[in-house]
Amino acid sequence: MGCARDIVEHVGVPRFYFSNFPLGHSAGKPFDAASQHQTVREALALVDQANTARTTAVSTQKWSNDDRWEQDFWNVSQLSPQQLKKLKAEHEQVRQTAANIKSNG
Amino acid sequence: MIDYIPRSHTYYAAQGYAPYQWATFADVPFQRPPGLLKDLRLALLTTAAPVVADAGAQGPGAAYNAAAKFFEVFTQTLHPRPDLRISHIGYDRTHCQAQDSNTWLPIPQLEAAARDGLIGELAEQLIGIPTNRSQRTTQEKDAPAALTACRKLGAQAALLVPT
Repeated sequence: MGCARDIVEHVGVPRFYFSNFPLGHSAGKPFDAASQHQTVREALALVDQANTARTTAVSTQKWSNDDRWEQDFWNVSQLSPQQLKKLKAEHEQVRQTAANIKSNG
Repeated sequence: MIDYIPRSHTYYAAQGYAPYQWATFADVPFQRPPGLLKDLRLALLTTAAPVVADAGAQGPGAAYNAAAKFFEVFTQTLHPRPDLRISHIGYDRTHCQAQDSNTWLPIPQLEAAARDGLIGELAEQLIGIPTNRSQRTTQEKDAPAALTACRKLGAQAALLVPT
């Protein structure tokens, strides 16, 4: 179950429950038991209901009545050259940190 | 709906990086489970990470934290409730405050589903999967290790809740 439909379908999985929510909410909306209940139960239903690989079920839930949140994630048009430069420096640091962890075991 | 593949390509290209080549499989396996879910043991798989000592902020609102990444498949009992975080993942930090771990680790909902008879049984341990950008490592090391963990738990079905 997850929130990045194009990635998961590009990879190819047996069964996928898709929620059009911001990344980080694969199992439902925060502090919303009804949302999480529906998300998890509909995802579980795929175990019995799917008949073929690449079966995707789509949640009927909406994150918000305002869809502008979809414009924000990693949107280059919203970033200045200075912000991009800073992000590049941060990513290089991240790569080095990850390499250090792997090499240290 | 966000198209994350082109969005990520543009984002990283703007920083001078080559586009990431996502794994893709022409043949996707499909296996019918050995019964209905209500009679099966289900394992929960997560990409959330244990808290790493002295690795900086890993809680709600934490910036991306590569020091919190893990590189080995692990298992952990469901009780006491595991404290697993997502600071090592590039989630949507504008619209996800990461304050409710149930949005990435739905243990209460899965336990409720088991109590209600939708799941035969929830495996007593969850399985943690590394988020390794190396496709070879994921396919040749982490996926086999996750499968071994599922079999050791006697799981007959698995639910992956990635972030």
